[in-house]
Amino acid sequence: MISERDRVALRPEQATIPPGHPWNRLPIIGAACALLGAVACAILGAANPKQFFFSWLVSLLFFLSLALGALFFVLIQYASQGGWGIVVRRIGETVFATIPVMAVLFLPLLLGLGDLYSWAAPGAAEHDALLRWKAPYLNVPFFLIRAALFFGIWSFIALLYYRGSRGQDVTGDPRMSARLRRLAGPAIIVLALTQTFASVDWIMSLSPHWYSTMFGVYFFSGSFVGFIALLSVVAVAMRRAGLLETVISTEHLHDIGKFLFAFTAFWAYIAFSQFFLIWYANLPEETFWYKARLEGSWKTVSLLLMAGHFGVPFFYLMGRAVKRRGSTLALGGAWLLAMHFVDLYWQVMPTLHPEGVRPSALDVAAFVAVGGCFVAAASWLMRRQALVPLRDPRLAESLAFENA
Amino acid sequence: MAQTEAELLDNPVAGRPTLILRSPDFHSITEAVAEPVERRTPIGWWLFFIPSFALLGLLGVAVSWLFWEGIGIWGLNVPVGWAWDITNFVFWVGIGHAGTLISAILFLFRQKWRTSINRSAEAMTIFAVMCALTFPGIHVGRVWVAYWMFPVPNQMSMWPNFRSPLLWDVFAVSVYGTVSVLFWYVGLIPDLATIRDRAKTPIRRFVYGLLALGWRGSVRQWHHYESAYLVLAALATPLVLSVHSVVSMDFAVSLLPGWHTTIFPPYFVAGAIFSGFAMVLTLMVICRKAFRLEHIITLKHFDYMAKIMLVTGSMVGFAYATEFFTSWYSGNPYEMFTFLNRALGPYAWAYWIMVTCNVISPQIFWFKKARTSIPILFVMSIVINIGMWFERFVIIVTSLHRDFLPSAWGHFTPTIWDVSCLLGSFGLFFTMFCLFVRFLPMVATAEVKTVLPQADPHWRAGPERALRDHRAAPQTRGAPEPAPGGAS
Amino acid sequence: MPLLLPQLPKGPYYGVLAEFATPGDLYHACERVRDAGFTRWDAHTPFPVHGLEGAMGIRRSPLPWIVLITGLTGAAFGFGLQWWVHASAYPLVISGKPYFSWPAFIPITFELGVLFAALGAVLGMLGLNRLPMHYHPLFRSKVFERVTDNAFFISIESWDPRFDPSATRKLLESLGARSVELLES
Repeated sequence: MISERDRVALRPEQATIPPGHPWNRLPIIGAACALLGAVACAILGAANPKQFFFSWLVSLLFFLSLALGALFFVLIQYASQGGWGIVVRRIGETVFATIPVMAVLFLPLLLGLGDLYSWAAPGAAEHDALLRWKAPYLNVPFFLIRAALFFGIWSFIALLYYRGSRGQDVTGDPRMSARLRRLAGPAIIVLALTQTFASVDWIMSLSPHWYSTMFGVYFFSGSFVGFIALLSVVAVAMRRAGLLETVISTEHLHDIGKFLFAFTAFWAYIAFSQFFLIWYANLPEETFWYKARLEGSWKTVSLLLMAGHFGVPFFYLMGRAVKRRGSTLALGGAWLLAMHFVDLYWQVMPTLHPEGVRPSALDVAAFVAVGGCFVAAASWLMRRQALVPLRDPRLAESLAFENA
Repeated sequence: MAQTEAELLDNPVAGRPTLILRSPDFHSITEAVAEPVERRTPIGWWLFFIPSFALLGLLGVAVSWLFWEGIGIWGLNVPVGWAWDITNFVFWVGIGHAGTLISAILFLFRQKWRTSINRSAEAMTIFAVMCALTFPGIHVGRVWVAYWMFPVPNQMSMWPNFRSPLLWDVFAVSVYGTVSVLFWYVGLIPDLATIRDRAKTPIRRFVYGLLALGWRGSVRQWHHYESAYLVLAALATPLVLSVHSVVSMDFAVSLLPGWHTTIFPPYFVAGAIFSGFAMVLTLMVICRKAFRLEHIITLKHFDYMAKIMLVTGSMVGFAYATEFFTSWYSGNPYEMFTFLNRALGPYAWAYWIMVTCNVISPQIFWFKKARTSIPILFVMSIVINIGMWFERFVIIVTSLHRDFLPSAWGHFTPTIWDVSCLLGSFGLFFTMFCLFVRFLPMVATAEVKTVLPQADPHWRAGPERALRDHRAAPQTRGAPEPAPGGAS
Repeated sequence: MPLLLPQLPKGPYYGVLAEFATPGDLYHACERVRDAGFTRWDAHTPFPVHGLEGAMGIRRSPLPWIVLITGLTGAAFGFGLQWWVHASAYPLVISGKPYFSWPAFIPITFELGVLFAALGAVLGMLGLNRLPMHYHPLFRSKVFERVTDNAFFISIESWDPRFDPSATRKLLESLGARSVELLES
């Protein structure tokens, strides 16, 4: 129970992917998947463009939400001066460094705005008083400006923190930590606001008559769970692959597990609150959004989310032993990643398929394409850098971290 | 050589700051905390107690008159059926939440600095919940049948309406009060044993001994005790989130614009923590000076508390912005009118007090100088609580006084009895708190001791540093070690 | 194993009480006492010392399981009560909600679950700790008064099979005790 790991500094070889390691091939694998997926999308999408845009939106949102969750995670670690998470911070930094790639992947959607968003279709506002009212906000030019603004701000923050952290590997300058910590507070506020409006623009406006003040928080809660789940899978996979075995300990896995448990409960609280208040007041102008998701085969998905995104993981992650063993923790993480995808699918797809769940090959193709780019970018970065912030002043504390 | 307070603050690279100043040993902590409980009552205590008790008397008078004459003595009318009564209820429940956050949530996040303030904060929670429960209790009108709220089998087979948020409130706040008392008492047991063992008179020994349940510091007992503490902290965390969410649902499940909005649950919780921390700050600024505990409740603690207030205040501001945007985005004319009416209508003065106090003024806490300046902290803590009281007032009254039908619009003016009940509730709160600091140890002595460096069994006096996160603070690099305090 | 009082044959002594100066001294002494094979013994500290359970060889507390069971019972009770009242005993149509309006049942279900769990935690802890126990032979020792202040102790009961008045005393003295005391029964 007591583990002495008073290492003050890591040697760089302990914290990089050694040459010849299988993970060096990840960028190529990712790129191949991306290419394969892109071709499939092009072929299948030509026949069914509307489905393509929706599938692409879901997959893009999935990977982007992981990156945004990563950004929140790292910013909060800086702001709160948390000690335990430093050994896994670089994983988060690598994930959010893919945001510029996501910005590029956003571009295909611009070809289909009219297919995705009913308010963007020409002549939409003519017969719809509500859309006329919302037109100052829900119009294509402003939408594009906002999207550019969001990606610009996110990329700026992401690169600032990525470069700052990597720079510290070289210089060891402790003032960088202080600087990043001071900026973290304002950055969190900016991130919260931009993320809220992005979720309004990209998801909530799929149903332009609907509104919910909770929606930004709902998106945040899902993206945060998604990232922590990804973190658990990656951390365990790294250890299995012989990377950072002596660096990421059972104690760190335990803490990741606790975060996963807590934020799964938080997601359920937010999701339920939003549903519950709308259900209770029973106002038709709000309930139609949920009604669409509680009929037919969408009802099955709703029940799956209740049980699978909350019920089962909650009791699964409660036990101490599960969180301390890599295999069981990673299983929980992988499951929750899948559930996060289902959550986004459930939010987006009923606009296209109100009659019921209609899985399509394009769902898979888009996921492979976007995911391939994500994996390629992240793993390419991982190869070129240390896997932990080697000269962070608090690294030693994180290495020696121990749970109760 | 101890560091100056200034050196201790905010150095992210020099290791964790020392939380307890002047390098005390275990015995001096016991002395410092037990002394206010054991000595004769100082004059200063009476100076706080007597006015508080007088206000408590005022509450008694106001409530008696209320029961006799009826709710009409307040300024309530149709359409404004709720005003100061429910504002005060939500205000006090909100204040209570900071205590649970400090005790439970900061414990789960392993924030050691909580140990200096958690006992007082938990006590504050209990007294705040007592004040809170007064208002729904007295506002029901027919107080003599208030027992109908509880699911007790009766001859009419009448049951309460479990589908009503008002009843969820009854359950949530009573459970919250019960669990807070349990958590507080469990934490007190070892410290009551400390007072028992130091007691010089037989009465003290008997009373504190009875309450300490025979605690003898057995490690086998500590083991189950710590497990219970962790479990209670893990339970109290979702509980505190749920309680204020349930309170927010009193409004959010309705149809009223300005009330019916999905963000209420987390927004209310953030606001509650915001105002609660402000109240803890007010109390701690006074108590640390009065009881000479400045080395245990330090400026670093205030720095952390101010940061939490900045975070929760920002969340509240974020919720205001989201609500405002969505009221326009919804396209619902009633929603939009409600928000315009708040800012520009007859209660605009209340609205702008709220915005100034809750959103604008806490921005001062971005500056470390402000976070560690006692006068600013004290003034801000009161300003924030004023702002948060007005927030609940604005939410409740502006949505009620002008809803869908203009012919049903009205106005609310408080009466002397509204004011008396509010002031009287402060009397109840401060009376209880005065009694608390007089008779019970206001710092969690056993917990503070665990934060000292010499509590670590692997600590060695000398240049080596204990690096583990779970230990007491590692020393700053290069600074001389504090004098070994292990041999007490 | 909890230390129960007088159910075992009494000897002339309760046991041995040794005082230690620092948590570190106590920690190392506990390891040695554990390794020496004693079972009816305990350490006493003014605050929980990290890692001491391991040094003493104490098993994990079963309290979380107790809490889980009582919590689930409470939640089931709350949900069952509401279902019975609203869907069976006296069904009323209130604000257009169905009789079995399960989303509306969740807040109270949750609250009662937490209440029962918390009661389970506290009563379970008191039960496992055999509290209240206002009388204990250790309180007769004058030095023991400082256990809630700044002193650390090991006590070995005379019912332990390996207990021997003089040998056990010597063992504790050799482990760095500041004082060792033989307590009468």
